[in-house]
Amino acid sequence: MAANATTNPLQLLPTHIVMKSDKEIVGTLGFDDFVNMVLEVVTKFEITPKGRRITKLDQILLNGNNITMLVPGGEGPEV
Amino acid sequence: MSLRKQTPSVFLKQIIGRPVVVKLNSGVDYRGVLACLDGYMNIALEQTEEYVNGQLKNKYGDAFIRGNNVLYISTQKRRT
Repeated sequence: MAANATTNPLQLLPTHIVMKSDKEIVGTLGFDDFVNMVLEVVTKFEITPKGRRITKLDQILLNGNNITMLVPGGEGPEV
Repeated sequence: MSLRKQTPSVFLKQIIGRPVVVKLNSGVDYRGVLACLDGYMNIALEQTEEYVNGQLKNKYGDAFIRGNNVLYISTQKRRT
């Protein structure tokens, strides 16, 4: 409900990330100027083989080069 | 588990020395101990194993991966 969109558009919401390839990632995050991302509680989804693949705990650093779209508050493709 | 918003630069300092999984754009997986890395995601790993579908190769000593190939770097704590 809080509209904090001016300072930090992407807080610690679960964020749904769509990559250039047929992969989507959901996690909570922080990021830098190049849109490289640090995610925690990450779930990977691959679109073509049905359903989710790997759930990783801890953290990942995701390269921003491959990111197409970010959906804050999104939960990923529901399968 | 600290769920605070973290920037990549903070993250990079924390994960050195830990076992990591490095996934490349090509889909190849590398697992090893992170020796060092830089802001370009260039990586030096020790005791590296290369996975494509099953296990392919074993590398011991140092492996250097150029950062432009890296999709992500993940720590592995296996709490699932």
